[in-house]
Amino acid sequence: MMDRRTFLHTLGLLTGGSALSACTPGKDRRHLVSALVPPEDGVVPGQSVWHATTCTECPAGCGMQVRLREGRPVKAEGVPGHPVSGGGLCVRGQASLWRLYDPRRLRGPQVRDGGALRAATWDDALSRVASALAEARGAGRTGAYLSGRTTGALAALLAESAPALGLEWLPRFEPFSHAAIRRANGLLFGAPEVPRLDAARPDVLLTVGADLLETFVSPVGLAAQVVAGPAGRRWWHAEPHCSLTGANADRRLVLRAGSEPWLLAWLLARVAPSARRPLPPAVVAAMPRPSIAATAEATGVAVDALEALGAALAAAKEPLVVAGAIATAAEGGLAVAGLAALLQWTLGATGRTVDLARGEGYGDVGSLLDLRALGERLERGQVGVLFVARANPVRHAPAAWRLAGKLAGATLRVGLGDLMDETLREMDVVLPLSHPLETWEELAPRRGLRELLRPAAAPLGDTRAEGDVLLELRRRAGETVAPSYQERLMAGWRARYDDAALRAYSAAGWAEEPVSGPPVGLDAGAAAELLRGVRLSPPKPGLVLVLAPSIRSFDGRSRALQLLEEVPDPLTTVTYGPWISVAPGDARRLGVADGDELRVTLGGWSAELPAKLQPGLAEGVFVVQRDVLPSFPGGMDPATGEAICALPGPGLERTGRGGRMPYLSGSPSQQGRGLIPEPIHRKETAKRASLYPEHPHPEHRWTMAIDVSRCIGCGACAASCYVENDVPVTGAREHRLGREMSWLRIEPFYDAAGGVDFLPILCQQCHAAPCEPVCPVYAAYHNPEGLNVQVYNRCIGTRYCSNNCPYKVRRFNWFDPVREAPLDLLHNPDLSARGRGIMEKCTFCVQRITAARDRAKDEGRAVRDGEVVPACAQSCPTTAIVFGDLNDAGSRIAALVKAPGSWRVFEELGTEPSVHYHRGGGEGER
Amino acid sequence: MTGTRVGSEVERDVLGAIRRPGWRWLLGLAVSGLLAVLLHVLWGALIVRGLGLTGLNNPVGWAVLITNFVFWVGIAHSGTLISAVLFLFRARFRTSFNRSAEAMTVFAILVAGMFPLIHLGRVWVFYFLLPYPIERLIWPNFRSPLPWDVFAVTTYLIVSVVFFYVGMIPDLALARRHLPGLRGRIYAVLSLGWQGTGEQWRHYARLYLFLAAFATPLVASVHSIVSWDFAVSIVPGWHTTIFAPYFVAGAILSGTAMVLTLSIPMRRWLGLEAHMPIDHYEGIAKILLFTSLLVGYTYVVEQGLSLYGPSPFERDQYAFRAFGPYRGLFWLMVVCNAILPLTLFLRRARRSLPWLFVLGILVNVGMWTERFVLIVASLSHDFDPYAWGTYSPTRYEIGITAGSFGLFFLFFLLFSRLLPVIAITESKQALADRAGEEGTP
Amino acid sequence: MKAPGPTLAAKAGGLAIAGWVAAWLLALGALAAWRGAVPLAPAQPIAFPHVVHAGRLGLQCTFCHVNAPRSPEATVPPLSTCMTCHETIALDRPEVQKLRGYVARGEPVTWTRVHTLPDWVRFTHKRHVRAGVDCSACHGGVAQMARVTRVRPLTMGWCIGCHRTRGAPTDCTTCHV
Repeated sequence: MMDRRTFLHTLGLLTGGSALSACTPGKDRRHLVSALVPPEDGVVPGQSVWHATTCTECPAGCGMQVRLREGRPVKAEGVPGHPVSGGGLCVRGQASLWRLYDPRRLRGPQVRDGGALRAATWDDALSRVASALAEARGAGRTGAYLSGRTTGALAALLAESAPALGLEWLPRFEPFSHAAIRRANGLLFGAPEVPRLDAARPDVLLTVGADLLETFVSPVGLAAQVVAGPAGRRWWHAEPHCSLTGANADRRLVLRAGSEPWLLAWLLARVAPSARRPLPPAVVAAMPRPSIAATAEATGVAVDALEALGAALAAAKEPLVVAGAIATAAEGGLAVAGLAALLQWTLGATGRTVDLARGEGYGDVGSLLDLRALGERLERGQVGVLFVARANPVRHAPAAWRLAGKLAGATLRVGLGDLMDETLREMDVVLPLSHPLETWEELAPRRGLRELLRPAAAPLGDTRAEGDVLLELRRRAGETVAPSYQERLMAGWRARYDDAALRAYSAAGWAEEPVSGPPVGLDAGAAAELLRGVRLSPPKPGLVLVLAPSIRSFDGRSRALQLLEEVPDPLTTVTYGPWISVAPGDARRLGVADGDELRVTLGGWSAELPAKLQPGLAEGVFVVQRDVLPSFPGGMDPATGEAICALPGPGLERTGRGGRMPYLSGSPSQQGRGLIPEPIHRKETAKRASLYPEHPHPEHRWTMAIDVSRCIGCGACAASCYVENDVPVTGAREHRLGREMSWLRIEPFYDAAGGVDFLPILCQQCHAAPCEPVCPVYAAYHNPEGLNVQVYNRCIGTRYCSNNCPYKVRRFNWFDPVREAPLDLLHNPDLSARGRGIMEKCTFCVQRITAARDRAKDEGRAVRDGEVVPACAQSCPTTAIVFGDLNDAGSRIAALVKAPGSWRVFEELGTEPSVHYHRGGGEGER
Repeated sequence: MTGTRVGSEVERDVLGAIRRPGWRWLLGLAVSGLLAVLLHVLWGALIVRGLGLTGLNNPVGWAVLITNFVFWVGIAHSGTLISAVLFLFRARFRTSFNRSAEAMTVFAILVAGMFPLIHLGRVWVFYFLLPYPIERLIWPNFRSPLPWDVFAVTTYLIVSVVFFYVGMIPDLALARRHLPGLRGRIYAVLSLGWQGTGEQWRHYARLYLFLAAFATPLVASVHSIVSWDFAVSIVPGWHTTIFAPYFVAGAILSGTAMVLTLSIPMRRWLGLEAHMPIDHYEGIAKILLFTSLLVGYTYVVEQGLSLYGPSPFERDQYAFRAFGPYRGLFWLMVVCNAILPLTLFLRRARRSLPWLFVLGILVNVGMWTERFVLIVASLSHDFDPYAWGTYSPTRYEIGITAGSFGLFFLFFLLFSRLLPVIAITESKQALADRAGEEGTP
Repeated sequence: MKAPGPTLAAKAGGLAIAGWVAAWLLALGALAAWRGAVPLAPAQPIAFPHVVHAGRLGLQCTFCHVNAPRSPEATVPPLSTCMTCHETIALDRPEVQKLRGYVARGEPVTWTRVHTLPDWVRFTHKRHVRAGVDCSACHGGVAQMARVTRVRPLTMGWCIGCHRTRGAPTDCTTCHV
């Protein structure tokens, strides 16, 4: 057993610790500081440390590595080969650093006296809680502890602390609880779990509602799997609206909202007879058998489309059907989930691509049913002290429940969180939690996986870890407990790991353990029972309001982070919401254009939202991302406890107000300009005649290849670029004026049929760049490695380069970029700052190229292929972006550029970009 | 001798004009002075806060400020044209206008020259534009049209100032004789000891002829170079070979129009009717008509090129101009520049000062709009449809534009009081010639 | 009778012109003032004599500036480095007592930079030291200095001159962005 010091060192505490204590050279150019003691070993001022940890912006638990510089996290990236994420990091993961530095983060505890919350010391706050707990115990009132999904070490601590404090730890509250799926799996297989999916193997994939690429369980991992599917894989997606997932599927079926049972029932009847795993006779007997005509009628899907789908599934070698999200968030969601589960079973997916034994570990998550029960208990005054941690039930509970009012039933309301929200506002005591990058933690986001979280920065405010709060409360209750949550964790690791294992765990940031469950079996009786319960009623006619989950802020928990509003919504390119997506046909009918405000009413509930036309959306369907709504207008499906998100019969009327709204796309269509040529082909380059010599590229020629078939439009690259390059975040006003600063954007182009192509556009680093000759001062010039360099301190701001850029990728600083403290700490010290009046743009992360060359020089070798990874390529969940040196004949990039299908945008202009696009072909491994 | 008698009248009236400041003059001075101050205040704001105060945005990086630059350089042209070219052609009607036209030229260039600086993001390092040996060991990029502008405009400024001044020397000498006291002495200094001896006259004539010949090519070169700011780029709607002649024609059109706009009230208020006869205005009107025909022709050619050209981007661009959000301005420009001037085919219109005055203003409105449409429409609708966007000016740009007119008129009002607004000696000469012709049986 | 006009006109005119010219001069003046210079040999909180340590004692530069060969930042040594000797040596010197005072108070020493570059220049000590550039090439004969003085211009032209003669890269990205 290693001694404490090496133990801590192995865990990287020292680097972590010293990173915390290090001074910040470079920031102050007028002075030098002699610290009292040298920084701990391993830390060199002015050089970065990478730190493996875990992302906590959603429950998936993707791997995340954080770059520490001068004691501050300055960049988050994916962990290559991570079991959950596979190496990418989504737009929310990038924004987790913005949460760390968010100026509005709670800096210290608050307690309510009189009407309002006022700042207090931890001692005040905790003693108030402790005494309330003691009182309640005296009065024999058990309290309640309501938390968001909690796993790993904290779950263990809560499990033992809650009873010790006289609290009942309620089932976890998650707006996306996947309750219907768990309930169906519970009934059919006795395994109330969200199965772990393998979306890489199926040759025919049908997703009904389940938005694999946006918010469904583990989007980054699933996205990576989906794009890695076998050649010729057919992916069908069925949903009433048009989600990013639907836009990326090979074929999108527009269902009438609420007709999912029809589709699945018909499919089950269609494929069951010939299926790999025959269903028991009882089940077959109970199976509803809608005619194809009736199904087509009910769903609105054409007969031949149904035929094709049925045939494809029946003939598939590795078929997979997944239903969830919007499809199960409705009356009859249980039927949908059950039918899908039976399809999985009979198609042989269960146990192969649908793994219930190694589930996603949602077993202890509750549903709205539990929340309603809590509400009733509160009304009856049966709750003592109420804790709400890392959850916002007030916002997510159906507005009709008036949950906020009911909270008053508790003797004391204690909230734990990092940003003020609808729920915390109702609390008597608000305890600020440290950011996951400020504390020690261990998660188990799925069965058989442990993930390490390490402090990367000293707490910016007077905040604490939830574990420490619990331990302190128990201490005050007279218990003897571990001195600190950190000690408790370390003790656990000491007990669990030997030297080597700990090193591995610390280095990777995660460790897998074998989990084996018995192969699940189908309970025929339950199945028959469930099938008899399936009601195939014709879906209600009329308008539908769909409350869609948001790729940018999940269920709304990331809504406060401005970076996520700066990066546009993939389908509408709206940056600063809220808005309501309207089909062009409906817009004509209502007489609204982009930006005109609509009043949406549902029963007593109403909201006023500017309209945004979305081609590809079916007429009669209106989409609002549920995270932007101040309260949840939907109801609850009593059978499963899922929130109902497809709401029939919304009232829509113009308010007459409206105006310019912040969206970035100047045109939803390509206007026949062949940015993505159809069919894919390489246009011939315009002949250039020039008196000037060609640019030589003696050493390197940096080039990028982007696979548009892998690009799902998620925007992770854009967010990553923002953080890596300190791209100014300018806000709604500037966006309305058309002054977004993003160096990298994903252009969604709709075709006539409503299909969407995503085209990432960044500086194309043209070989014959229009921007270069027009710059009067050589601020824009071509460097020997093929980059269009922009020398910021030479720029005088004529904006001529931007005018002359056919790709419009140059960004002008209209004002001095300002960041409210402490956000100013989030800044890449390898870049020079840009002030007002300076033109800036992408240079393939030239600072990373420089760093790689520096490293190579130190080791006396050449830069290796794949050693330079720009921020965008690193974060791409689907590895659509490949970067390398074209001069290196053996490099991946050289092969991709030569590939027949590869083209360049506006080739006919003769700009000869260094960014090549292709569709498929490229192997995207890290 | 009638010649001398009339001549002395010219002298009396013109120099008298220097004496009499009416309330109108003082009012005008006050208003334009305030506008000029406004210009500098707003510019200060742009420097301190940033160009975000304008309405400029992502596709549209140039707009009102550059429009004003091109507009004022254009205004400058007719000055040189009227004095130099018409001098070489011995066009007699020139004498009524050349002085004010030259003054106009100088002031217009001064104003125009400010705009490239105003529109810079970092004007405090404008000297990066100047070719001087610095320790950074970098020169400006001579491939870029912007340094060409720097040369073109400065050259034009210098030449026209010299031309303006030299042409004035004999009159300054006269003014010295007529004005007592300090101002007399100032004029004395300015007149470089002019005695009017035959010797001096001979040298003077040579010099003036030489300068006229020297200035003439600038009429063509300067605005051609300005047009290359656009023609050299690849922006659809800018990248056209016709731009140089197109711009020169437009420049002369707007310049002559401005001469009318300025000289007609001046003639009235300074009581110079006698010395600025209608016939001379008719001559100017003919120039206006001619250049307007040229401009109208280029409009047609431009559209034609885009329609028959190979580039879909160009086609879209011209459709966008005529029928897009800027169509109103587009048609306004067509009417003002190419249609209304056609009325000058009628002799009555050519000789009606009120109509010439109004037309002058309308043409300048049209010419300003032309540059605006050309710059803004092209930028807001170029290659990548995703990046399309529209532009509309803010209070700052409008204020600065107004201010530029203020500054221009401030200069001109001062000129009209402090210097002889009509070339006295030349007019005398002209009168003498005419008298001589009449005298001969 | 003569109207007061001419003088009024002249006054107004003169004022306007003078004002306009003055505005321009002011602008240029402000520009000049804005480009302020850094003192060549600023006073330091402790008058550390390089001439003694680097000169007489002949300590290597990297003895204290340990990061110069391995990091972009040469960095100044932590006070613990000073105390390795000054626990025992030269305790009577007033400057050393100052130093010990800082340590006693647990207060870091904040020196005034002598060699400073604008923040749009990315300079790395590591590359220069490893390329065998002598410290004095940029810092001058510090070993003879009682108070460190900037003796090199540290202008871009000066940098490029050296880069050219040594065949070092002169691409803009070497130092900028």
